[in-house]
Amino acid sequence: MSLPVTDPIPEGDPLTLAPRSRDGLLIFGATIVAIVTFLAVFGPHIGPYNPTLTTPRVAVPPPKFTEIPSTLIGWINGTLPHAPHWMGTDASGYDVFSRVIAAPRTDLTIALAANALSLTIGVFLGLIAGYFRNWGTEVLMRVSDVMQSFPVFISAMVLVALAGRSTTNIIIALAFVYVPIYVRLTRAEVLSQTSRGFVEAARALGQPEIKIALRHVLPNSMTPALIQSSVTIGFAILLTAGLSFVGAGVRPPTPEWGLMISTGAGAIILGEWWPSVFPGIAISLTVFGFAVLGNALERRYEAAQ
Amino acid sequence: MNTPVNTPLSAPLIEVRDLQVTYRTDKVATRPVDGVSFAINPREVVGLIGDAGSGKSTTALALLGLARPPGRITGGQIRFDGRDLLTLPDTDLRDIRGRDIGIIVQNPRASLNPMLRVGRQIGFAYQAHNPATEAEARKQAVEMLRMVGINDPERRAEAFAHELSGGMAQRALIAMALSSRPKLLIADEPTSGLDVTIQAQFLDQMWQTVQETGSAILLITQELGVIANYCDRVLVLHDGRIVEDAPVRQFFDAPAHPYSQEVLGLRRSADAAAPVREGTAAPLVTLDALTKHFPLRGSDKVVQAVDKVTLTIGKGEAVGLVGESGSGKTTVGRCLLQLVPPTSGRIAFAGSDITALPPTEMRALREKMQIVFQDPFDSLNPRWTLAQILAEPLKIHAPASAAAHRTRAAEALRLVDLDPALLDRRPRGLGASTLQRVNIARALILNPEFVVLDEPTSVLAPRARTSLIGLLARLQAELGISFLFISHDLTTVRYLCQRVAVMYLGQIVEQGTVEQVFNNPRHPYSQALLSAHLFPDPTWRRVDHPVREALQGEIPSPIDVPKGCYLASRCPHAVDACRAVPQVLEPLADGRNLRCARVVKGEV
Repeated sequence: MSLPVTDPIPEGDPLTLAPRSRDGLLIFGATIVAIVTFLAVFGPHIGPYNPTLTTPRVAVPPPKFTEIPSTLIGWINGTLPHAPHWMGTDASGYDVFSRVIAAPRTDLTIALAANALSLTIGVFLGLIAGYFRNWGTEVLMRVSDVMQSFPVFISAMVLVALAGRSTTNIIIALAFVYVPIYVRLTRAEVLSQTSRGFVEAARALGQPEIKIALRHVLPNSMTPALIQSSVTIGFAILLTAGLSFVGAGVRPPTPEWGLMISTGAGAIILGEWWPSVFPGIAISLTVFGFAVLGNALERRYEAAQ
Repeated sequence: MNTPVNTPLSAPLIEVRDLQVTYRTDKVATRPVDGVSFAINPREVVGLIGDAGSGKSTTALALLGLARPPGRITGGQIRFDGRDLLTLPDTDLRDIRGRDIGIIVQNPRASLNPMLRVGRQIGFAYQAHNPATEAEARKQAVEMLRMVGINDPERRAEAFAHELSGGMAQRALIAMALSSRPKLLIADEPTSGLDVTIQAQFLDQMWQTVQETGSAILLITQELGVIANYCDRVLVLHDGRIVEDAPVRQFFDAPAHPYSQEVLGLRRSADAAAPVREGTAAPLVTLDALTKHFPLRGSDKVVQAVDKVTLTIGKGEAVGLVGESGSGKTTVGRCLLQLVPPTSGRIAFAGSDITALPPTEMRALREKMQIVFQDPFDSLNPRWTLAQILAEPLKIHAPASAAAHRTRAAEALRLVDLDPALLDRRPRGLGASTLQRVNIARALILNPEFVVLDEPTSVLAPRARTSLIGLLARLQAELGISFLFISHDLTTVRYLCQRVAVMYLGQIVEQGTVEQVFNNPRHPYSQALLSAHLFPDPTWRRVDHPVREALQGEIPSPIDVPKGCYLASRCPHAVDACRAVPQVLEPLADGRNLRCARVVKGEV
């Protein structure tokens, strides 16, 4: 039995630093995810310009660092002829900043929907594959192996190419790609949960198998898949952007990071870096934030185990 | 052999004063070891007993000047050979670790490096403290392996950890710990997870080896039997402090602290003998030649878990099923409840055959037969509240309103001496003993006629075990339920059961009343099992009386079972006929059944 002791903990104790820094990562990841979520809801309305309308000013560079204070003061005092282009404008005259903050609505919606779809299907199939082990579920696992052995990006591209370029099809393509991950993850957890005592106890009580699977095994097997969701959403955003980049994603002028990089890429050799670099930074930060959050949650889960 | 039971006059080997170990996490600091003081004299065997989490292992590590992060030794003194270990520089401390103080920890296989041959590892441990060439170190390693009773040590020194059995790996660890002939050996639950016969072999060997090397032992354990049979003195650790420090006989005869009295409670009432019932009860459960083979993946061989077990459990009777791990006793319980289908044989319940019952009929029957599993942490759904857990059987077999179910759940908790206020708690955060009571409550809530108890006390600390057994005895007497009590703990079986069956390699080798089997075991295996069992009574200390019935070697594999008697390879009475002819279970004149032709014919 341990007794609570009230003496103070010395500052900078190296033994206490490790858990704190992990909390820091969790907060960092959660903050990014919160910002992206906020932008997905309000992003298209809070930018200085309409993200889908061009301005007459083409390929304006963003203000230099030294110019930022004066631009800011001018904007607040209303002495500027028009709202400043914080991230410049692209070759067609779109305000990059307004589009960067409007894009999460497209990207996050696709990623969330794809994740929800693959999570639901994957967890369900994983439960079946792990709980009822027979030749049928064996076939299911081999099929999922084949699906998983395709390069993610190529399979998504082919699917969109076959089914056509629409948001729904992109969502289905992404979901298709992520289902095997959830199947495998859930199945592994179901396998370990099925051998636990409370499952056998329920059987000894006369609980029918289907109820044991749904009431006892499923709720106890969901956590790894839910944690994986954070990582999957991050990568789904990356994949959505990637598909747009190669022309298999959403259509212009929908504000979308990958599409912005793609349309801006040609101008980089002319020195116009801003139309593609800013959305690139946005993607990196977002994917990083989701991955860090997933990682931190996973460690917490493992520690709780 | 005489050992110093009283404190000798010489100076203590190690003296611990006010030892404190503090664990700091983000916000709170806890002190699992809070002011521990004791001393150990040269050549003395001292037992340290206490509940899980009482700070036993933390104390053991602290004696080496170590603490597991985030713990730290935050106070006290450890005087060893006149020096304070806690103020010693690291280099000197490292010299003492391993050379003067050796340690054996739990889980022998995990403590051996899987990449190194055993002999080489022992050699390294020796070389760390003694200037020796490779050849000398190797010679020393072989010598140590011989000393800890390993047959053919030359060959075993070449083995890797995974090639050794659990018992043998544990011996290799002793060999390593004793290779530098330390003055003090700390053994932290060295036999947890080992079977009784192996445990006895091992402790005998450890005791004998330290007699030769002249080391003192601090033996940490949860088993009163180990204390009673091997220790000279007992330290009781409770809430981070030593609450009792007494010579072993005095401890068992007149424990001073309330905690010690509670721990010893069962032993005292066990002397008063188990309840005896008149006549033979009408049979409730009958097993007829029950056999279970598990197919081995990728081969046509099978694991013969249960082999033609025939057993009857009467109404209101408690039958014990004992044997070492791998003897098939758990499989018998699971087959009996149809949790695994038997390969052949017949199971009858209340007169009707239930072996091939359709699933729906079997489900309905489960109301009358229940099971309590071994691991309380594992057998309750961690996401459910106790109210939900206890209502589950009611929802299946006795549909009623949620409020009615809740009332019955509260009653069930009261039946097992738990507070109904726990109904809305979840298993997390509740102790093993509480959870096991919830398990029992769930099994009893439908008023079953028969319950299988599958080692319900094996993960409990001594005090919790005592009170749970008391509870089971009370429930059996009050409710008249029939029990099949599966256990390797003979003390418990003797206390709870009227009849007992001894299993070895899937077969019942002896079956009779508790008095018959415990007071006068006839089968060589029952004799060995009983002699290996460490009864918590220091008057017949094992170390004072050389044991004759000891078994050689370890339990054979259930995949390639011997042709004749399964015990022949380990049995001191085996003759050629035993190895050739399979043995059958035959009734003796006194009513017991026995599977040994030589004993039945009166040759032994």
